[in-house]
Amino acid sequence: MRNGPLLVTFFTGALLVAFFFIPHHSAQKMQSVMLDWANVVYAFALILGSITLWTVHQRKVTSRAPGWAFSVVTLSALAFMTGAGVLQGVEEGTLVNRFYNIANYHLVSTMFALLAFFIASAAFRAFRARNVEATLLLVTAIVMMIGRVSIGEYIWQGFPALTEWLLDVPNLAAKRAIAIGIGLGAVSTALKIILGIDRSYLGRS
Amino acid sequence: MTPELDTRLFEPGRLNLLIGLVLFLIFLFVNIARAKRGASMFIRPIAGLAAIEEALGRATEMGRPVLYLPGLGDMSEVGTLAAITILSRVARRTAELGCDLEVPGYDPVATTMLESAAREAYVQAGRGDSFRPGTVHYVSAQQFAYVAAVTGYMLRERPAANIFMGSFYAESLFLAETGNVTGAIQIAGTDQVTQLPFFVCACDYALLGEELYAASAYLGQEPIQLATIAAQDWAKAAAAIIVVVGVIATALGHPEVGRLRQTQ
Repeated sequence: MRNGPLLVTFFTGALLVAFFFIPHHSAQKMQSVMLDWANVVYAFALILGSITLWTVHQRKVTSRAPGWAFSVVTLSALAFMTGAGVLQGVEEGTLVNRFYNIANYHLVSTMFALLAFFIASAAFRAFRARNVEATLLLVTAIVMMIGRVSIGEYIWQGFPALTEWLLDVPNLAAKRAIAIGIGLGAVSTALKIILGIDRSYLGRS
Repeated sequence: MTPELDTRLFEPGRLNLLIGLVLFLIFLFVNIARAKRGASMFIRPIAGLAAIEEALGRATEMGRPVLYLPGLGDMSEVGTLAAITILSRVARRTAELGCDLEVPGYDPVATTMLESAAREAYVQAGRGDSFRPGTVHYVSAQQFAYVAAVTGYMLRERPAANIFMGSFYAESLFLAETGNVTGAIQIAGTDQVTQLPFFVCACDYALLGEELYAASAYLGQEPIQLATIAAQDWAKAAAAIIVVVGVIATALGHPEVGRLRQTQ
């Protein structure tokens, strides 16, 4: 039984790899069924996740841990949205849909807008010319910024072409080199797990 | 009229991928055989991974928690699998050192796997009883709700070390910059090329692309695990040869050689 999870991983992984090369309709149907099973597992895991979310925050509230008031908000929101969703559904005009559009949508937009400030602070730190590499980064960033705005072309007509060259040649070469490494690494990791070479995902050596 | 059912047993447009996969398997088994015979497997030092031990030690000395973020990927992403295997190593070490670990999860299935891996790692370290329920917990499957919860935790609890491993997207800079503000030692690794610059800017150490996948083998230092990295390097050399041959053939007026790499 100890090797049960390894066998399940091996057969599932090997079958899905095989289905990638077999276009036969029965193989594709079986692949589709397996992907449906994944959705069922996901639904159960979501219930399990919600229970752990409830337990963790309930513990914070009962022990008055620092920030417990935020946990009250989380628990109230979880209970309200789950209850409203079960009673009314999630279609247009329901409570869940209205709260999603009124609160969640705007909160997400606000968070996303904050990204501009984070980019500015990260760029300020990264673009300090401390050594040759950082100076090179700074110069490239300045060329890129000037070349991507319309005033850049007025300053020097070559800026747009220079930015295109930077993006299409050195940048793309580096990105492709990293992408090849990632592709091979992904295959290697997947094979290690399918073949049971790497068992650390089960907490084993 | 019913559509015609596909009865083919093999997709010829994917023959090149099958050859590549078989070649990779051969490299893998050859290197595993070498490792079993005791051949030395050199793996270049990766500063970011060496720093994990330092970060965990620092957290233990300061009596503050270690925050491990497994990314926003689901179980179909290899980055998430890598995040789980690395968590297992990290959890074993935090169990040995007796320092607090916090793992907020994004995907419910991945969170279940992470919880199981961390719990088992504590048991393997002989400290199963010190595994705190809620160490690995689900937060939200909404990107910015997750960010709000995690950054809030960073600012309130001030973890001594933040470890970001897995697939990250627009939230990478939010998380890394907030961690930077709190003064935590930050180690990040992701297979999302577009997020790498953000981690390089905001973290103390960054693992670039494939280094994320090598992390588990590197931290474990088991010969067979290291053999898989050697196989990966052989495959990389083969890919480089194929690229060079394709470029030369295309330059000499034979673009069909380069097209052999295309798949359907």
